[in-house]
Amino acid sequence: MGEDSESPKINHSFLRDYVTEADVISTVEFNQTGDLLATGDRGGRVVIFQREPEDKGGREELGDAGEYNVYSTFQSHEPDFDYLKSLEIEEKINKIRWLPQQNAAHFLLSTNDKTIKLWKVSERDRRPEGYNLKDEEGRLKDISTVTSLQVPVLKPADLMVEVRPRRVFANGHTYHVNSISVNSDGETYLSADDLRINMWHLAITDRSFNIVDIKPANMEDLTEVITASEFHPKHCHLFVYSSSKGTLRLCDMRASALCDKHSKIFEEPEDPGNRSFFSEIISSVSDVKFSHSGRYLLTRDYLTTKVWDLNMEKGPIETYQVHDYLRSKLCSLYENDCIFDKFECVWNSTDSVIMTGTYNSFFRMFDREAGRGVTLEAWRESSKPRAVLRTRRVYTGGRRRRGDVGVDSLDFTKKILHMAWHPAENIIAIATTNNLYIFQDRVHPENQ
Amino acid sequence: MEYKVEAHRIMSISLGKIYNSRVQRGGIKLHKNLLVSLVLRSARQVYLSDYYAGVCLNAQHIEAKEWELMDADREKLIPASEAAQPSSADCGVSEAAQPGQTRTTGGAQLCLKRHVGAEDGRASRLQEKDGDSLDPSDVAVTSPVSPAISETQCGSSDCETDADAAVTEGDSRQPPKDHACSHRKRSAEETGVSETPVKRTKVTPNAIVANNEIEEGEEMDTSNVSNLITIFGSGFSGLLSKDSAKSESETDDSDSGSGQICCEQMLKNLNPWTTAIVAF
Repeated sequence: MGEDSESPKINHSFLRDYVTEADVISTVEFNQTGDLLATGDRGGRVVIFQREPEDKGGREELGDAGEYNVYSTFQSHEPDFDYLKSLEIEEKINKIRWLPQQNAAHFLLSTNDKTIKLWKVSERDRRPEGYNLKDEEGRLKDISTVTSLQVPVLKPADLMVEVRPRRVFANGHTYHVNSISVNSDGETYLSADDLRINMWHLAITDRSFNIVDIKPANMEDLTEVITASEFHPKHCHLFVYSSSKGTLRLCDMRASALCDKHSKIFEEPEDPGNRSFFSEIISSVSDVKFSHSGRYLLTRDYLTTKVWDLNMEKGPIETYQVHDYLRSKLCSLYENDCIFDKFECVWNSTDSVIMTGTYNSFFRMFDREAGRGVTLEAWRESSKPRAVLRTRRVYTGGRRRRGDVGVDSLDFTKKILHMAWHPAENIIAIATTNNLYIFQDRVHPENQ
Repeated sequence: MEYKVEAHRIMSISLGKIYNSRVQRGGIKLHKNLLVSLVLRSARQVYLSDYYAGVCLNAQHIEAKEWELMDADREKLIPASEAAQPSSADCGVSEAAQPGQTRTTGGAQLCLKRHVGAEDGRASRLQEKDGDSLDPSDVAVTSPVSPAISETQCGSSDCETDADAAVTEGDSRQPPKDHACSHRKRSAEETGVSETPVKRTKVTPNAIVANNEIEEGEEMDTSNVSNLITIFGSGFSGLLSKDSAKSESETDDSDSGSGQICCEQMLKNLNPWTTAIVAF
């Protein structure tokens, strides 16, 4: 249980290379109740976890109740090939979004670079028995052996989870789809690629409405692309999209059919003192999320995460430095492509805490009320199941404490890009390269 | 000087990234290539500003004459300025590096930037086909590449010569800007060159960018270098053909072959990168 990180590194450095590309988790999402957690990976697979029902007896702290176990696994997307452009289409799942539950079945949308699919996840725990014309195995009976008629009845059987594709929304996008977002109206959803945003009806697959198009007439005039987009959680006519220039645009679909003209634009003037070759890259917004209240926006760019008030366009109301010690290392990060990493950010259920990932298997949580941040680690060796997470620190100067990690010893291959926060409780799902960590706050399981 | 080395290195890395993106699975990522091209542009501006700062010391008297021509053409640059706005801040950085040359290099920089938007179109326009359905394929392939190409084109066209050639160009919008800028660059470049200044200056930024590719070529096979040319494809041929059309204003045909020969001749007089460039 050494505090130093040397020995675990020696043991596991070779294991790191054994991660297969297909197993890398590319998206994590809770459903609206938090009972189901879906992850997508680069191999096009979706794994759904279900929370075990909590024990009413009160032994929750020690038992397995409240933990997530695998519920279903299915292959959502396959590698595809665009013959016209001679381009391979990756099967990597870019985003998963759950639909609000309307009946016993669960629905989720999953997307790769080009195609969005609607999947129905349903349980079957009974099966009919007592057919007249078929026997137990389903083989046709010889009619001469049938002497009496019986009515088939449903008998309990082992639980089976069936996942079926119900809709395939194809050919809607020329560029790579980066976001999907289900509308609060429960009928439509949007999908955004680099230059366009389309709105679909969940029941109609052969048409979509284009609601934003920022493709310039001449591609040489291209200066920015769309990086993320989301519907407002309460107002079905509002959505926001972020750009590679660091701006956010709020659009109102009531204003016009094509929302190229934004209703509000949120941008922060650039600090001229911080200008470098890479200023444009680090200002590109990688993720945008509405708060649960719908009043605030959370954005993530390479070095910071910001909270914006929808009522104030001239700048964010809060800015949190995620890993400012990397500011002097931008050139190396550019060389090893880390500067292009797209980190996600999430709100907690009461919008009082925000969370985002960083390198070295660290993730950061910021308490908005206290204005303070904490660094935590998602690494198997550092935390045994049910052990309390220790806070970590990156040493950037001053007094060095035991357990601090130096900036130069950060492992940039271990990055936490994808994460999710339970919609009601203090349960978080953190995806490292190919592992999923689920942390629960047993002390304060629910926010007051 | 460290700026120059750093900028040069970043340019090489950026070009390498653009090259590698062609063979990546899943097709070219527009966002990443746009960002890489922005970095390439910034690095190039710093690199060239350093270069011109050094050369400017000998050419200030010629610049004064060129300013008049610049002002006349400045109005034509305005439509392109929107496209180049993001890089206007770069001016501050590069200008700061040469305080003694603010007037000349600043103007040169401004020129260069306003250009970029106009020039970006050059390469991709050569390849763009009609119809939106095909556009994305071109765009996906060329747009990440064309901003990179445009740097080279911009630089070379900057060093372009004649205002007369502007008239001969079919494209009415682009050349006036090009040449307005080009006068500035050319004047900056004229430092006791026996050969036609036009061709010499035209070649130099070409050499700079070409050198980047050649540096990568040294790590890869020359076949890869020629692949790089193929990738930048019509961008380069457009570059060369445009150069030849403008440098030899008497001949109106855009012949990439003659442009190449032009390049080589001038390069031999220039610098140690000669043998590398001849491989093109």
